[in-house]
Amino acid sequence: MSVLKNWDINLRSSEKKTLLSFFILYIFFTIIVLLLMAIFYFNTQKDLMLKDKRLEFSKYANDEIKKLKYLHVNFDKVPRIYPRDKRFKSAIYDSIYTKIFSLLDSNKVDLNEDIYLQNGNIFYIKELESYYLGAKYVVIEIKDDNLWKNRVYHTLLVYGGIILFVMLLMGYFLLYLLLRPMREAIALLDRFIKDTTHELNTPISTILSNIELSQKSNTDERLQKRLDRIKIGAKTISNLYQDLIFLTLSDKIESRKEDVNLKELLSQRVEYFSLSIESKKISIEQNLKDGVTLHVDKNRLTKLLDNLLSNAIKYNKIKGKIEVVLEDRYFYIKDNGRGIEKDKLEQIFKRYERADKSVGGFGIGLSIVSKIALEEGLKIEIDSVFKKFTSVKVSW
Amino acid sequence: MKIFLVSFFLIFSLNASVYQKNCVSCHKKLPIKIDKFFYRYLLKYSSAIETKYAMKLYLQNPKKENSILNPALLKRFGVKKRTTLSQKELEKAIDEYWDRYKIFGKLK
Repeated sequence: MSVLKNWDINLRSSEKKTLLSFFILYIFFTIIVLLLMAIFYFNTQKDLMLKDKRLEFSKYANDEIKKLKYLHVNFDKVPRIYPRDKRFKSAIYDSIYTKIFSLLDSNKVDLNEDIYLQNGNIFYIKELESYYLGAKYVVIEIKDDNLWKNRVYHTLLVYGGIILFVMLLMGYFLLYLLLRPMREAIALLDRFIKDTTHELNTPISTILSNIELSQKSNTDERLQKRLDRIKIGAKTISNLYQDLIFLTLSDKIESRKEDVNLKELLSQRVEYFSLSIESKKISIEQNLKDGVTLHVDKNRLTKLLDNLLSNAIKYNKIKGKIEVVLEDRYFYIKDNGRGIEKDKLEQIFKRYERADKSVGGFGIGLSIVSKIALEEGLKIEIDSVFKKFTSVKVSW
Repeated sequence: MKIFLVSFFLIFSLNASVYQKNCVSCHKKLPIKIDKFFYRYLLKYSSAIETKYAMKLYLQNPKKENSILNPALLKRFGVKKRTTLSQKELEKAIDEYWDRYKIFGKLK
């Protein structure tokens, strides 16, 4: 549990993306369920309102029928004026739904219904027992006052909001629960790397300093070559150590920007890897323009270059070729090694991701390159043809 | 003048419809006007099709059971005799009867 308290590990972007997608999906389905519930509630309230109104409308219809009866009985004696009422509008239809007379706003009436709401009007249909004036149906139409609707919207807004908030809260805790084992795993891995890194520092420094001392005092050529090989190995471990330190502690190290002479730095880093280059009989071609400077953190840029050069050597073939070119707005390092397959190109900047597993490594090199480039405002472009070449261009 | 009036009456009689000649002429003699029968039919049958069909059925085969008169009126006037009109003539007479007294288009 002590690992969980150490929260300085960031989730990888793909994991964040997955979690965000999950959360969006959760919210989406929550809203869908709430919408369905709201529709159900709305319809129930509408039916209740119509049920309440039914009695009142039935009374209006009976009043209208009485007037129709009077007109029917005295059709030849009184003026043939359809009975009107201020409280409602009405219409009469015969048994085959033909309109006999109508005062309604709407021309379309569903005579099979009992009471219904349409286009802001409530319609009530009553079937006559005796067909006065030939009318089998009397339709009563009244404009809906929308009071019930406002009440329903208000309730939906308040309760819907509360439910949505509770559901979001639940989603958050659900996400937290899902995240826990993942965070634990990442925390354990990072903790392990930190501890291992810490333990590596002293022995590596001792090995490197002792190799240099031995090389100075020894003139035997065969022994020198052996020491060179040990030095390459020790430097590789040293680089790995530096990378791991950068990955685990970079957030805590403040960036110190300065004007860096790129030709100088590139030559220096190529020289640093000279033993490894020689051991693989790689020919190196440097085409570096003078006077190109960049305002960056020198240590970080060194780390970026070391990783690119290390990769160019590691993934190169024996007697291969490395090209280092510096221009005003960019530099690139190109090797004619094994290249990267097209479908793996997008993945290579991910931490612990390795396009080629045939050689050693943790898959953190390009992740560091990408991180440094992002922090220092540099643009990385990778061009690669499988089994032919890989070129990494850094521009600004 | 007499000749003119007789001629006019003759021409009018010749041009009178089946409804006028066969329905109105008899109903005139009854104390209940012909339109009252219409409104009674309407009260029971509502639409044009149903009303016309009921009238036709009754006139072709008049019975107490399919009459729209109440028992008191039936007792007083009895059931009428079966029509002597052909089906076509009867339908024509009923159509005219419907058009004359229908409610459609008469309300304001």
